[in-house]
Amino acid sequence: MVLKGMKWTLKTAMEREVTRLFPEYMMPLPDAERGIHELDATICIGCGSCARICPNSCIEMVPYKYGNPLKNKKMVFPQIDFGRCMFCGLCVDECPVSCLKMGKKVVLAGWNRKDIIYSPDRIAVKKHTDKEVAELEAEAKRIAAEKKKAAAAAAKEKAAKAKAEGSGAEGEAKKPAAKKAAAEKTSEGGA
Amino acid sequence: MVTASEVLSAIKSAFPGSVKEERVESDRRLWITVDPGKLLDMTKFLRDKHGFDHYSGAAGVDRIADNLFEVVEILTSHGAHQVVVLMKVKTPRDAPSVNSLTGLYWNANWYEREIWEMYGINFPGHPELYPLLLPDELVGAFPWRKDFKGYPDTSTGRRAVESVTSDGHTEFTIMPTDKEMEGGVFQRIKVPNFREREEMELGSDAEMIMHMGPQHAVVPGPFLLDLLLDGERVKRAFLDVGYIHKGIEKIMENRNWLQALVYTDRMCYMASISNNEAYCGAVEKLLGIVPTERAQYIRVILAELSRIQSHLLGTAEFLTLIASAIYSPFMYMIIDREDVVSLIESVTGARITHTFVRFGGVRNDLPPDFKEKTLPVLKMVKEKTLQYKDLLASDSIYKKRMVGVGVLTAEKAKNLGVSGPALRATNVAYDMRREDPHLVYPDLDFDVITRTAGDSAARVEVRLDEILESVKIIEQCLDRIPEGPIQEKLPKKIKPEPGEAYYRVEDPRGEMGFYVVSDGSDKPYRVKVRGPVYAYFQALPPLLEGAYIADVVAIAGSMDACTSEVDR
Repeated sequence: MVLKGMKWTLKTAMEREVTRLFPEYMMPLPDAERGIHELDATICIGCGSCARICPNSCIEMVPYKYGNPLKNKKMVFPQIDFGRCMFCGLCVDECPVSCLKMGKKVVLAGWNRKDIIYSPDRIAVKKHTDKEVAELEAEAKRIAAEKKKAAAAAAKEKAAKAKAEGSGAEGEAKKPAAKKAAAEKTSEGGA
Repeated sequence: MVTASEVLSAIKSAFPGSVKEERVESDRRLWITVDPGKLLDMTKFLRDKHGFDHYSGAAGVDRIADNLFEVVEILTSHGAHQVVVLMKVKTPRDAPSVNSLTGLYWNANWYEREIWEMYGINFPGHPELYPLLLPDELVGAFPWRKDFKGYPDTSTGRRAVESVTSDGHTEFTIMPTDKEMEGGVFQRIKVPNFREREEMELGSDAEMIMHMGPQHAVVPGPFLLDLLLDGERVKRAFLDVGYIHKGIEKIMENRNWLQALVYTDRMCYMASISNNEAYCGAVEKLLGIVPTERAQYIRVILAELSRIQSHLLGTAEFLTLIASAIYSPFMYMIIDREDVVSLIESVTGARITHTFVRFGGVRNDLPPDFKEKTLPVLKMVKEKTLQYKDLLASDSIYKKRMVGVGVLTAEKAKNLGVSGPALRATNVAYDMRREDPHLVYPDLDFDVITRTAGDSAARVEVRLDEILESVKIIEQCLDRIPEGPIQEKLPKKIKPEPGEAYYRVEDPRGEMGFYVVSDGSDKPYRVKVRGPVYAYFQALPPLLEGAYIADVVAIAGSMDACTSEVDR
């Protein structure tokens, strides 16, 4: 009996190495791993679905600079408190544009509780540079201005329409201009 | 085969006029609302004449809109037939009282105690209505009523008063409201506490009480096991649970249907797939959807992998408890388990709390090389398990400690309400995969493992053999799994129709059931968890009576218990 046990022990010891030096050698993680979140700030639309579905309310939408102002109107992005996060992955499933993913990074340590509240900058794997942000902002401004113009034109047209119930000729002339502005706007938004 | 409608007609002919509402959901589910006065007679009739010898649990529901409480008694049978009767009794909210079933079923005791402390429903005829999960000072607050405001009352901040005792502990007392003082109706429920109760049982000076716990060597997880000893024999055992009561059932009422899924993982991390499955199955019944075939196969594969890892760790931990001489098997089994857990992780993305099953499907598809990776692991698990069996069979120390210790007879086990390996070790082939077929289990070829001895050794043997059976099931599934979608189409907002469902699955430890009530909103109205370990724990004191102190760990540990699920 004892011999049998000894044989087993020796066999298991020879079989394979089980332990590893952890920080140096990480165990292989599968692609499906649900580790620390990864945010693609260039496509996040700031809808807040992730914050709403989170069972522990650990996601908060905070202002952040290096996103895409064309898509994210309010420029708010998820900030995750990993002190509360239980890595269930509901936020990832819920994201309508798949900008939030969970990666293979799992090491999470901090000296105090504030250290493990990850700002959008810390979880972002893809973000715009200062220059790109400036360009995008200019673009956004331009679009906003155009929109304003279009809105003003539409209002004007409306007023004109109301005014010129009798004399329709003037209103007819203005209509195509407004339409053109609207078409321009949609093409910009799509790009 | 007896069907639900046959049972219903038998009840109706025996008790004309006392069935108020009835619903035959399927051949295996019967929902009836009965006259409270006829509850005892009807249950006795079902037990004696129709083989309903298994009291599976009870749930309280607060129907605050109708000013009523409901108690749902879940009755079924150990193999005589597969009908589950969910018998509802309604009682007015201002003086709630339902006859106790403890005279008919011994294991109704804890379920009724829990309903009493959570809802304040009185059970005349109950032998010991003492708090079970709640701390003594919370008794009388009835936290699971729908009008409970929090502790202390968050709306006024007045109900609970904080005071410091002479030995420096903080105590909370619930003071009567002004209205109650004026009306003179307030009566503080005064019950003897756990210590006082056990000291009442002390007979002579020769007896003493030995405390095991809350931190102890029986299972990981705190609970207090007090043994009243007469010499070296246990005369009586007292169990105090609730040290890590998390109120998961109440938390789930405050989350939406999908969010609530996350909490089912945390009840017991060793069985999180089957907890997911039980909850999702119940909600799928409410939504009226069936998961796609591929999703069903994936669920079965993962449930069985999860069973393998749970049994490996359960056995491994238990072996460390009974004798330090066989500590090494713990290490060996952990090594094997790592591979199995890594397989699960490669699909779900998490090692223990998976949150993987979804309503009508699963979260992820299997990775492309899953089959190639799984087959060698299964082969290794099979080989190793056969070796463990061989090793344990040849170990004389192990045999001396285990064989003939903590013997349960089939009759006693049924009466105590235990399920899973502990029941199957007494030669009762009771397995939810057969009794309540779900997913693709009816198409698969597997055996229900049984043993005849009913002792601690038999329980371990059943577990090890079930690992081999699970390997068989997974191999079949991998051969048969069809291509296709993994998620059934869902409505955009998950809002099930008002109604209720009961769904049960075979947890690694036994019968796991979820009773779910919907009121048509986006949140569950009530979720009741009927866990297997709850039943094990309840059965511990009678099982330990008459045992030697040295065997206590060998008996209690062989149940493969998990306190976290008891105190869910």
